[in-house]
Order: sequence, then C-alpha cells, then structure tokens
Amino acid sequence: MEQLYYIALTIVSLPLLAALVIGLGNKKLPRYIAHWLACGCVGGSFVLSAYVLFGFITNKYVDLDINVYLWGQSGGLQITVGFLIDRLTALMMSVVSFVSLAVHIYTIGYMQEDPGYQRFFCYISLFTFSMLMLVMANNFAQLFFGWEAVGLVSYLLIGFWYQRDSATFAGLKAFIINRIGDLGFILGIAAILYYFDSLHYQTIFKDIPKFIATNSTIAIWPGTEWLAISVICICLFIGAMAKSAQVPLHVWLPDSMEGPTPISALIHAATMVTAGVFMVARMSPLFEYSTTALSLMTVIGAITCLFMGILAVIQSDIKRIVAYSTLSQLGYMVIALGVSAYSAAIFHLFTHAFFKALLFLGAGSVIVALHHEQNIFKMGGLYRSMPLTTAAMIVGSLALVGFPGTSGFYSKDLIIELTHKSQIPGAQLAYAAALITVFITTVYSFRLIYLVFFGNERMEDNTHMQPVHEPAKTILFPLVLLAIPSIAVGGIMIKSTLDGFLQGPLFVLAKHDVTQQFLQMDFHGALAMFLHGFISLPFLSLLLGGCIAWLCYIKYPLLPQVLQRDGKLLVALLQAKYGFDALYEKILMPLVRVVGNYCWRIGDILLIDRVLIGSTVQGIVRISVLLQKLQTGYLYHYIFIIIAGLLALLLGIMYL
Amino acid sequence: MFNYLLFSTLLLTFGIAGLIISRKNIIILLMCLEIILLAANTNFVIFAKFWGDIAGQAFVFFVMTVAAAETAIGLALLVLVFRQKNSINVDDLNQLQG
Amino acid sequence: MQEIIFWLFAGIATTAALLVFTIKNPIRAIFALIVTFLATAATWLMLEAEFLAVTLVLVYVGAVMVLMLFVIMMLDIKATVNENRFNRWLPIGLTTAATLLIAVYQIISKADLKFVQPTATLSYTLTGSNTELLGILIFTDYLFQFILAGVLLLVAIIAAIALIYRGPHARKIQRPQQQVLVQAKNRVRLVDGV
Repeated sequence: MEQLYYIALTIVSLPLLAALVIGLGNKKLPRYIAHWLACGCVGGSFVLSAYVLFGFITNKYVDLDINVYLWGQSGGLQITVGFLIDRLTALMMSVVSFVSLAVHIYTIGYMQEDPGYQRFFCYISLFTFSMLMLVMANNFAQLFFGWEAVGLVSYLLIGFWYQRDSATFAGLKAFIINRIGDLGFILGIAAILYYFDSLHYQTIFKDIPKFIATNSTIAIWPGTEWLAISVICICLFIGAMAKSAQVPLHVWLPDSMEGPTPISALIHAATMVTAGVFMVARMSPLFEYSTTALSLMTVIGAITCLFMGILAVIQSDIKRIVAYSTLSQLGYMVIALGVSAYSAAIFHLFTHAFFKALLFLGAGSVIVALHHEQNIFKMGGLYRSMPLTTAAMIVGSLALVGFPGTSGFYSKDLIIELTHKSQIPGAQLAYAAALITVFITTVYSFRLIYLVFFGNERMEDNTHMQPVHEPAKTILFPLVLLAIPSIAVGGIMIKSTLDGFLQGPLFVLAKHDVTQQFLQMDFHGALAMFLHGFISLPFLSLLLGGCIAWLCYIKYPLLPQVLQRDGKLLVALLQAKYGFDALYEKILMPLVRVVGNYCWRIGDILLIDRVLIGSTVQGIVRISVLLQKLQTGYLYHYIFIIIAGLLALLLGIMYL
Repeated sequence: MFNYLLFSTLLLTFGIAGLIISRKNIIILLMCLEIILLAANTNFVIFAKFWGDIAGQAFVFFVMTVAAAETAIGLALLVLVFRQKNSINVDDLNQLQG
Repeated sequence: MQEIIFWLFAGIATTAALLVFTIKNPIRAIFALIVTFLATAATWLMLEAEFLAVTLVLVYVGAVMVLMLFVIMMLDIKATVNENRFNRWLPIGLTTAATLLIAVYQIISKADLKFVQPTATLSYTLTGSNTELLGILIFTDYLFQFILAGVLLLVAIIAAIALIYRGPHARKIQRPQQQVLVQAKNRVRLVDGV
C-alpha cells in the first residue's frame, strides 16, 4: 500500500533529519531550536507510528514488505534497504517512538545545564532512527545495520560525559561486549546466508520447512555433529544475549549507568536492550524448530532473572538498582521466548518499556532534585517535598513487581503461567526461578521506595543548601505520560495479545503453543485474571517479599546490617557481582591481550612488516643497487655490451 | 662471391675488435666505427652486384651520407669534450656513472 | 687475373684496417685508415660500383679524414702509452672478434650464394653507366630518401655549428659602411684657431 510505505519512510526519516541538522549545527544551533526540532520530529514519528498501529488494529492495513533501495549487490546476493511493516513492527515502532518522545521532553529539563545539550539531542534522535531502522527491517543486513548503530549510539551516549574516566570505560565495555555478541550474530547470519541463499526475511521464512526436512548438520568440532538449525539459532541468540544483557554478557548494563539518566531510560530500559528480544521474536519461525535453542534461552533467562535480581538487593546507587531490575525483567522476556510464548514476551517488552522508563525517569528526577546525588543511603523522606515523583515511582514499582491490576501484573503473570505450562526442558526450573524472582523484586523495589522517599532524611549538608523541590515541568510531564500506560495498558491489551494480534508475524509450532493452551483453558478475560491474581502463587511471592522488606527496613532497620555482618561470604560474592567482572578483567582480558600481543609481534611485525613489506622494499633497493653497477659511465663498457649483444643475437638466430 | 664476403667480414671483425680494444683515444674509436660502416657498405655493394639489383648501391649512397654527417657531429662533440676535460682518453669519460 | 687483383687490394685493405687501432701515433693511424678506404674503393671498382668508389674517395678520404686530421692536430694530445690497460681488454676483444668471424663464416660458407643475371626489371636498363643507373634510381624511386638525406646534412651542419658556437666574440674588424659615412665634423674639432 503506497500510503503505508510513505508513512513508514517519514517515520524513519524524521529522527534522522533531526539528528543530522542538530549534529551538524551543534554549538551554533540555539538550544531551543535543537529541542524543538528533536521533539517535533520524534513526536511526528510517534503520531505516525500510532496511526499505523491503529491502522493494523482496525485491519485497515495489511503487512507491507517493500524494498526501498538497493544498497549493494555482490554475486547473487542483493543487499537492500527495505521495510517490513506488520503488527509486530507497528507495535515496536509505537513503543520506541513513544518512549523516545517522553525521553526527549524529559531531556529538555534534565540536561538544562549541560554544555553538550545539542550533542545529546543529536544522539538520542540518531538512536531513535537506528532503532526504527532495526525494527522496520525486512532483511538481515538492515537489521544488522540497526543493531550496530544502536550499539554505537549507546557507546556515544554512555560515554557522553567523556571527561570522566569511568564513563569512557563503561562506554567501551558496552561496545566491546556488544561486539562479542555480534560475533555470534554474524556467524548466525552467515549460516543463514549459506543455507538459505538470501538475507530477506520472507524468503527465508518460506524456505524453512524445506530446510528442516533436509536435517542438515554442522560439525562444530570435528566429530560432533550439531543440527544446523540449532547452530543458527544459538548463534543468533548469542547476539541477542549481548544486546539484551543476558548472563554472561550482561556485565555492561550496570556500568552503563554512567550515562545520563534519560539514556538509561531510553536505551537501557525500553528500547536497545529489547532489540535482542525483538529479534528472537521476529525469528520465531526459525527458533521454533530448535528445541535446543529454546531450552537454552529458557535456562539463561532464568539464571539472569534470578541472580541479577538478587544483586539488586545490595546496591546503593539508585540507578544501579533499576539497572539490575532491568536485567531481571529481561530475563523474564527471554524465558518467555524460550517457552515459545513470543506474544507474551513482546507483551512484557511493551509494558516493561513503560514502567521501566518511568522508574528511570523518576530516579532521574530525584537525582536532579538532589543535585546529582545518587546514593540512596543519602536520601530519604522525599515524599513531602516531591509528591508527584513519589507517586510516579510508586506506580512504576507496583507495575514492576506485578501488583494485580497494573500492566506489569498482566504481562509478568502471563509469562509465569505460560512457563508453568510449558513442556520443554528447563521450563519448570524457569518457573521456580521466576517465582522466586517476584519475591526478590518486591524486596528491592520496596527497599528503593522506602529508603528514597520515606523514613528519615539522610541527605548530606551540601544538598541541604537549597530546599528540595520538584524539578521542572518538562521533567515531570513525561513521568505522568508514562505512568498512565503502566497501569492502563495491561488490562486493555491482554485479550488481544492472547487472541493472536501478533499471530501473523510470530510463528509457534502447535506442540509448543502454550499461549493457545492458556487462552483456551485458563483465560477468562482481563477482569477475571485480575481477580484471580490475588490468589495466585506470584502474588503470594509478592506478599512474602513485601513482608520481608517491611521487616528489614521498617520494623527492624538494623537487620540488614546484622545480616551483612554474619553473611560475609555471601555479601562478598554479591558485591563482586558473582565474579563476572573479575572473570572478564582478570582472566579473559589478559588472555586476549596476550593473544593480541602475539599476533602483533609475530603476525604484524615479523610477517607483514619484515617479511612481506621489508623484503619487497629491501629487495627492490638491493636489486636497484645491483643494477646501478651496470651504469659504469664508461663508453667502452657500453660499446662492448652493444657488440656482445649483437653477437648473442647472431648466435642465437644461428643456433636456436 | 664468397671471397668478397669474406673480405667484408674481415673488415667488420677488425672494426669491432678495434672498437673494443682501443682505449687511449676516442679518435681511434671513431675511425674503427668508420671501418665498420665501410664493411657494411662493401657488403651492400657485393650483393648489389651479385643479385643484379642496383638498389644496393643506392643504399650505400645514403649510408655514406649519414656516416659523413655523423662523423662530423662526433668530432664536434669530441672537441667540446676536450675543451672540458683536456683529455680524450676514453677512461676519463665516466661522468655518466650512476 | 681478376682474382689476384682482388686479393691484392683486399689484403691491403684488411692490413691497413688492422693497423688502424694498432699504431700508437694517431696521425699514422689516420693514414692507415685512408689506405683502407683507397683499397676498398678499388675493390668497389671491381664490383662495378664506379660512382660509389669515387664518392668514397671524395667524401670519406677527402672530407671526413681531413676533418679528423684537423681535429687531431687541433687538439694537443699527448700520445700516452699505457700498456697494461691495452693488454687487459685485448683477450676479450680478440675473443669477441674471433667469435664473430667464425659465426659469420659459418653463415656465408653454408649459404647458397649465386650470381643472378640481372633482368630488365631488376635493374632498370642494363645499358648506361653506373652513375646513370644510380641517378635514375635515386631520382625516381628513392627521391624522398634523397631529399631526406639532404635535410639530414642540413641538420648536421646546424648541429655542428650549434655545438661549437660559443657566443659572439668581440672581434676587431672593419665596417666599411660606417667608415664611408663618417663626416669631418664628427671627428675633428677646432679648439683654438687663429
């Protein structure tokens, strides 16, 4: 449909335009132009995306798969820039542009005093463009482009305050770990190209049944044969692991909190980290055929979910708590993907975007109000001076823990139910982990709310200089904007999600289809689910968590310290983040450095410099010195050579 | 005819030998060059007679012209060289060494 | 008879050629070369190339050799004798010459050499002197080459002059035109008259 095509082009081009103009203008552009342009463009994208989504809901639009531009051709492979607009895409586009819009507005207030104001807007607009390109892609090449671009912009934004060493280090860490995941991703894409001869989604999806029938295997190491489809899916998932921060490639996310809060909200809560989840959901036709990959995802999701949640309990930086919470929720999404509940995973992605962004922005509001103080032990009693922020954070936290009624409840409980129903190996483990995580989530959320907003004021003197008050309207407005969907969206969307709103793009094999089972057997409507929620196991977990938290922080405030003193080993383990950072820094990195050093010494210096280039150059010089001796300058030498040549020619003709 | 050709060959040989052996004097060099040219001309004349084609003699005519001109220029250059170096020993002319 | 005369002149020519680079005195070497030319001219006469033989004597002996003599006498060269250097290149030169001789001898001894009776088409008309025949050939078939040879000589003249010319010298000569135009009043001035 022509109209959809042009709308899609506009949606993608507007943020790019904003990014280019602001990026090139930078300091010369006045601030108000920068933020009006950026917000205007992203707002336009959002309005159009919502229009498209609405069009899909009312069945006005059908799926559009169109190539915009042939970027390059190599042999038989055509690399195009194209759009695949279907319901999944429309949903993602709306999420991305909505959260991006909220963050843009938020930034006007948050980055007011920052000298890199225009640069920030350029980057977040560029990020919006990249993410849109990623979700609207119709082939792997464009997907990869968007993938890398969001990684790049994430690096730029994490290291936004580049004068800080920790920021640049964190930025590099994020980018490098993303790169490691990209290795797997590229291998997966290469395998797909090898087996399917095309990078185009629709072509690949059509050919999958034929491919499965061939039962091809790949020998990873000589002697072990793995199913090709499993290898492909696992490789793709490795890419998703890095992007969506699953264990063991999760270490970059907590450090990425070095960046300004708006980007933590945008990138590391709502959009970039969900790119991995989106990619797996989009590739559901592929993943469905590999039980190995699905099991792997379930297990890894479970591990991430539980263990990262535990880490959140001992953090003292407000943003890090929310970061670990993000890791935990991502684990949920991956579990859902693993049990083939792709719709549930996307649904959770959808709701999580709202309440996590809300939490981050609320945290940012607190940080700005306390003049960039981030330690929760130096906050307290803020509900009096910042009521709106407090309310927003409470709403967000309720959604996070899955209190019945909030959208988080619908999506999270859905996942837990579906995991319980699933038959694949590791599902029950994941179910247990998910339940325990609800408990943990409640503990740290409660801890956060209580320590930051209630209790005694523990702020240091320098923050006391000016009275604490709510920050500017531009900061508060997005909070309200995000709080509403955090509550409302769940009940509204649950029916349509289960009913197969995303049926077209997401493909589930019948034997895996837990969503269908749930829909038919247990689902009786949103209201029923809400009421049932109060008597379900997750709610029990929630209450338990609430009790423990109340005990630890309100009733007996000294309890945490006692626990800390007695459980030194556990505390040490937790504070070392299970040793992942140490593993990377002390073992893997030196190893890589040694290999790199070896390659440099032998490969670069010896082979290339000395042997190849050196000998070529030296050889030429030596030969030319040798030839120089021919030019003696003596006439009779030359004459002799002429005559000798003549003689040689004569003899040659005579005898040869 | 064979005798005539042998004669021409001998002239050529002596000319070339002189070209290589002469060291003291560039004039000797030029003279040996003249001998070589003479040998070639003789060759042409011989063949012109024995193959009945007078074009050989026409060729000699032109070669002689060219040889005369070339000798003249060669001597002019020689004089110039002598002005510079005050010697016409072949060994002393090595400024083109590279 | 013809054979004997031929061998005589050929012998003189080759001997003189040998002497050219063997004699130490350059003037004597030039004389040897002149003898070579004369003997070769005689040989050419026997080969029915009369015009060329005479041209050889006129041009080569008369002009080129004289030029060389002039140059030798103009340049004040010392006949330095350096025996060792002479000996160093001698074997190589002899070897090369010998090889060449043997090679060409092989060629000409095995070649099928015939005397071809000239037909009318091969050389214009059999009647007439050699000069006339040669003239006809040059001025009809090879006219372009002839003119080119003329141009070549022109170029040679210009080149020779251009090489030697050192620029205008201050010369003391009479300029008659200016001498005639002189007037008394430009030369003599009466200072004090009675």
